[in-house]
This record gives sequence, C-alpha cells and structure tokens, in this order.
Amino acid sequence: MLIDIKSLLSIIFLFTISHITVRAGENQLRKSDLSISIEKTILRNQNTEYLRLAWSYFQKNNWDSTLAYSVKQLDVTKNLEIRNYAHYLSGNCFREKNLLNDAKSEFTSITDNFKFRLAVKSNLGEIYLEQNNFIQAIKYFEGIEQSPDYLKSAITKSALFHDIGLCHFHLLHYRQAEKYLIEGAELQEGEKDTSGLIASYMDIANLYYEQYQDALAIPYFEKAYQLSKRVNNFELKQNAALNMAVVEENRKHYKEALVYRAEYEAWRDSLTDQNKVWDIAQLEKQFAVKEKQKEVDVLATENKVKVAERNSFIYVAVLLFVLLGTGVYFYRLNVKRSKTIFAQKTELDELNAAKDKLFSIVSHDLRSSVNAMKTSNTNLQSNLATKNYAELDQLLQTNSAIANGAYNLLDNLLHWALLQTEQSYFKQESLRLFPIVEQVAFNYKHLMLEKNIVFEQLIPKSTVAFADPESLKIVLRNLFDNAIKFSKEGGKIAVYVRSEIDLVELVVEDTGLGMSETTRLNLLKTTAQPAKKQHEELVGTGLGLQLCKSMIAKNGGMFTIESEEQVGTKMIVSLPKPEKNG
Amino acid sequence: MDNVRVLIIEDNPAESDALVKALEANQYTVVGVAQTNREALELFYKSAVDIVIIDVFLGDIPDGITFAETITTVPNSLKPFVFLTSSNDRAVFDRAKLTKPYSFLMKPFNELEVVYAIEMAIERFYGQNDVFFSEEQNTVISNDYLFIKKNNTLKKVLISEICYIEVEERYCTIFTEKEKFVILMSLTKITELLDASRFARTHRNFIVNLAQIEEIDTTDNRIVLQGKQVIPFSEKYKDLIQRFRLLK
Repeated sequence: MLIDIKSLLSIIFLFTISHITVRAGENQLRKSDLSISIEKTILRNQNTEYLRLAWSYFQKNNWDSTLAYSVKQLDVTKNLEIRNYAHYLSGNCFREKNLLNDAKSEFTSITDNFKFRLAVKSNLGEIYLEQNNFIQAIKYFEGIEQSPDYLKSAITKSALFHDIGLCHFHLLHYRQAEKYLIEGAELQEGEKDTSGLIASYMDIANLYYEQYQDALAIPYFEKAYQLSKRVNNFELKQNAALNMAVVEENRKHYKEALVYRAEYEAWRDSLTDQNKVWDIAQLEKQFAVKEKQKEVDVLATENKVKVAERNSFIYVAVLLFVLLGTGVYFYRLNVKRSKTIFAQKTELDELNAAKDKLFSIVSHDLRSSVNAMKTSNTNLQSNLATKNYAELDQLLQTNSAIANGAYNLLDNLLHWALLQTEQSYFKQESLRLFPIVEQVAFNYKHLMLEKNIVFEQLIPKSTVAFADPESLKIVLRNLFDNAIKFSKEGGKIAVYVRSEIDLVELVVEDTGLGMSETTRLNLLKTTAQPAKKQHEELVGTGLGLQLCKSMIAKNGGMFTIESEEQVGTKMIVSLPKPEKNG
Repeated sequence: MDNVRVLIIEDNPAESDALVKALEANQYTVVGVAQTNREALELFYKSAVDIVIIDVFLGDIPDGITFAETITTVPNSLKPFVFLTSSNDRAVFDRAKLTKPYSFLMKPFNELEVVYAIEMAIERFYGQNDVFFSEEQNTVISNDYLFIKKNNTLKKVLISEICYIEVEERYCTIFTEKEKFVILMSLTKITELLDASRFARTHRNFIVNLAQIEEIDTTDNRIVLQGKQVIPFSEKYKDLIQRFRLLK
C-alpha cells in the first residue's frame, strides 16, 4: 500500500519536474543563441522564406502554423542546415502539442553537425524519460554529459543531473541516482530554483525511503515540505503535505499525520477548486460565448429586419414618389388641357359673338333694304296709278341701287360661308390683272357715273400675278364698293400697280372720307369683329373687308390700308408673282 | 371678216337672253339657244359652231356636263366650250373638270366676263395661251380660221380666203379678195402656225396662199394671183416652182 502510494507520487513528481526543467532550458535557447543563429541562417541562404515564417510563428507560440511552414520549407530545400532548423522547430512544436513520437522522429532526423545538437539530445532524452524509456533516456543524457562542448552549451546542469538521477532511480541504480540527485539539488540550491529544489528533495527523500533509510529520507521530506510553503504551486504543496502525512503515519505519529493529511486535503481541494473554478470559468466562457453568439445572432436578425425595413421604406418611398410624379403629370396635363379648353372656349365665344353680331347686322341691313324697296315699290305703284311717269325713272334707279346693295351683301355672305367651310373652288394661276380689273370695274361704271366719279385704270397689260381669279374678283368688288361708298361727289378712284418687285402691289385709291388710325387698325385686325363704322350714315357690316383679308391670305398675299381723313384711302392688295417657268 | 358663232345651252330664258344680248353687243353671232341636251347635240352637229357656252345645270341635273362629255368623245368635231355656272361649289367643279372645260363663266356675269371667257376658251382650245391679252399678239390660228381680236371684239377669217400676207416687223397685213387688215403677229410665229402645204414664202416679207397663184413670172421676179394682185418673188425662194407641175 505504502509502496503503491510512493511510486504513484514519484511518477507525479517526475512529470512535473521534467517539464519545468525543459521549459527553463528551452527559454534560454529561444531567446539567445537559437534566435541569433536561425536569423543568420535565414539571411545567409536563399529560399528561406518558409523558415522565416515558421520562426516568426514559433516565437508567437503558434505551433500549427510553424509546423505547416516548416514542412513547406523541407519540401523546397536540400540545404542540411536549413533542414536541421526546420526539423528542430517541428520537433519542438510536436513536443508542445504532446505528440511525442512525431517529435522524436523530427529530432532524430537532425544530423550530428547541427549547432544545437546537445539541445536535440536533451529533448530526446526528456521525451524518452516522459515515455518511461529510462535506458534510452539515460543514454542521451550521459551523451550530453560526456560531450566536449557540454559546458559551453546552454543546457542547465542541475536539470540534466536531476534527469539522470531520475533515470537511475527508476532503473533502481540507487547509488548513481543518489549521487546525481544530490548534485542536482546542490546546483539548484545555487540557482535558487525553489520549485526544482522541492522536487529534487522529494525525489531524494523517496530514493532513501525506497531503500528503507528513513532517517536519511525524513529530513528531505521535511525540507521539501518547508520549502513548499514558500511556493505558490498547489500541486507541490499538496504532494509535500501528502508525503509528510505518509511518513508520519508510518512513524505512527497519527496526530501529525492527520494534520498533514488535512493539509493535503486542503491543498487538493483548493487544487480541485481551482480546477473546478477553471472548469466553471470554462463553462462560463462557453456560456458567455454562446450568449454572445445569441446576441450576435439576434443583432444579425435585427440587422436583417432593419435592412428589410429600410428596403421596404425605400420601395414605399419610390412608389410614393412615382405616384406623386404621375399625379403631378396628370394634374399638369389636366391643367394644360383645361387651359386649352378655356382658350378654345374664349375663342369660340368670341367667334360666336362675332357671328351673332354679324347675323344681327346683316339681318338689320337686309331688313332696311327690303323695307326701303317696299316703300319705293309703293311709291312706284301710286305713281303708276296717277300716271306720274316723270317720277318712275328715279324710283326705279333707287330700287336698282337697293337691290344691288342687298345683292352684294348676300354675295359676300355666301362667299364667307363657302370660305369658312372650304367648299369653294380655288385654283391659283398665272393671271393678267388688267382684264380682271376691267371686268369688275365694268359693273361699277354706272355707279361711278352717277356720283360723277372719275375712274382711272392704270394697270399695265403685262402685269401678271399668281392668283385665283374668282377670289380676286370678290376682293376687287368689295374694294370698289367701299371706294365708291366713301367717295364724295366728283371724287376720283384710281387702280394701279405700285410695285412689282417681290409681290405685285395692286392699289385701289380713292379721294374719299378716309378713316382714323383707330378705325384703320381695327379693320386690319385679323379677328376683328364686324363693327359699326365711323360714319354712322354709311353703315356697313365689315364683312366685306373680312372676306377680302381671308381671300388674299388664301392667295398667299397681304392686305393693308393707308388712309388720311378727308383726303382719301389706299387699299393695297399684295399678290405673289407666278414662278418664272410656271 | 366674219363673226364668231356661238351655241348657247341654257334652260333659263332670262339667263340666255342676257347672254344673247351680251354676245350680240360684242358682235358675236348666236347660232341658237338649246334648252336640253338633245336639242344641244342636234344644233351642235347641224350648224357651224365656233364655241359653245354650256350651263352646267339644265333643270336640276348637271346635263351640261353630260353634253360636254358627249362631244368630247368625238375629237374631230370638238369645239371649245365654256361652262356657265352659278355655283362656286367644289363638287360641281370637280366633275366639270373631268371634261377639261376651256373656261368657266360665273353667274352673274357682265359682257366683259362673257367675252373674256370665250377668248380664254379659244386660246386654250387651240393651245395658244395668253394671246388676246398680251401686247405682242392678237390672233389665234386654227386649221380653218384666224381668230383676230379687234377693238375688244373677236373676228374670224377663213384661211382659204387669204390671198397673201405681207409681214412687217410685228405686224402682218392680211389680204383677202375683198379686204385687207392688220394683225399683231411675228413672221416666225405665223409661219409656224400656218399649214406649210398651203402657204409658202415668196419674199422676205411675203407669204402667199399657193391655191391663189395664177402666174409665176421668173423673168420679172413676180407672182400674179387670181385676183390680179402682184407680189414680189425673190431668187432665194425659187424652190417654190418645184411644187408646181410645169407645162413644157
């Protein structure tokens, strides 16, 4: 029972102690020589990019990346030195990852001329020790001890001795073990390596205890126990306490044993507590991570929801905007349409008013004419009855004049209607003005004679315009009508061509009443309503001039009036000329 | 010189009377007044007519147009015609236009308008537009007649009655057996329009009706016509002799 416990204890110590030693040796190597050498090698050689990366990851304790780049470096290089470094780094990494067999194969691949071959051996020895292959381990350790450059190297002597001692101890070479362990302990005392020292003392104590040299063993146990109080390593404290408890039990000092056991249990509990705390911490961490993950998930979901919200907001906004746009478009269209409709309505109203006015004036004029005819006819009948023939001639002439006026009015009305409905025949041609003017003037000869008006036809026979003859006749008829109507007794009417440069300007000039500027402008207005004229006694509809303007415009010509009150009026009709070869 | 002979187709006596009056006032001879299409065709083919004035509407139907369509189908006896209409209606014009009327006369008309429409129709019918109102010419030449505008009236002269023509710059003096008169026409124009198989130049200023020649005197370089008129015959136109069969 006791032996069982002891061996168990030793194993625990062995593992713990070895580990601490290796760490110490490696740290030294890493910081100093290894660092300088490896960097030099990297600089000196080409194709060492992977080694450089592996080294940088090694320094950061990133074992996996170090391994990956080391393997890559091994693939691309045959340089032994570089290969040795790569193997060395890999071996260390495997050791750190506790893949001991892999580490072993990496370390054994390193050639003997490697600068850190002692460190390699130390590593191999330690691996064998950890694997309880004490014979192999001791070979490597003794190899180190016997090597000529052992003293110069960075290997910690105390750790080496300790390791050798342990090997001997397990191989039951107690004498050797005692020698190395005590030597190692002495060195550790010099180095002030308290943890190492505790382990060493306990190992020595166990060594003696194993040989039933209790007197030698117990002081070491006690020393170890005393020292353990000064360190913070619970495991060491616990083991030291347990060792003391076992020792006291064997000495039958149960009271003390109980105290030590209690202490042991206290340390063990705090260790397990620590472990539990660590586990709990681990769990808490996991839990926290999970919580965090959940939070992240929730946030992600929220984010998604937000994005969706934002998107839908954008869509809605776009939709609203489009709707607004269409609304505005249709609104404007509507406004435009109603504007057009309004304009058209106004125009139609005006036209309708014009038509109404025209209608009233025409009917009024016709009524007056017919009424005058009636009166005249009554006179005629009474004169016939009384056989007063002298009066007849005068009355007939009056009748004829009235009929003429009414006819002209109706004629204009007809042509106006035809023009409005575009029903009249219209064909512009090359037209000599002279015969046309002659034909129209012929009808007015007697009227002019009656009023003693001198008529002058001064148009050259050669003058040609491009016009529709019938519409031109209507225009001339109206112009003559007006000229005669507004001429005084004994006046003069002349028809001549003023210019033939661009347009043929045909002028009908009278020496009549003339008109004011307002009347003139009013007459020339395109949409002028038929209006009562200045001279109330000479009422006209204005229809004649309107017709003239429309007809001339249809012929592609222009119409204008020049007038001076009490001097006379010039009515000017400008007509296009025929094309030269037309 | 003879009057131009006009056939009137008009169913309204008031209108036809006005027309007859206007025509006679301007020294036209009215051949007759037809009131129906049938009458019109009869008169047209029976009597010598120079021009027809056709009222578009005979009654309520546009029979005037039918008449025009009928005579147009016989090109040899076709004569110029004028459509008389009271309507400015485009539909009527569009139908009337298919018969290629030579001019239109709108009711109400005055005599100047009647004369103008007739002159226009003659010019257009014989393809010699813009003659009567120009200052360079006053004569339209058809196959049988010269239509001469003299003092605002139109006269005609039978071409076969012309003995010879004396040309002087823009004027031509026409000599018939009974009379002589001056027309406004250039030498080139008149030689172009007269039938070359019936008229020939004998001198720089003379054109002679070949049918009227009685004697050609090559020694004295003169030609004696049937009416005993004597006209010069220059060497330049000696080829003329070859157109006669010589008695040796």
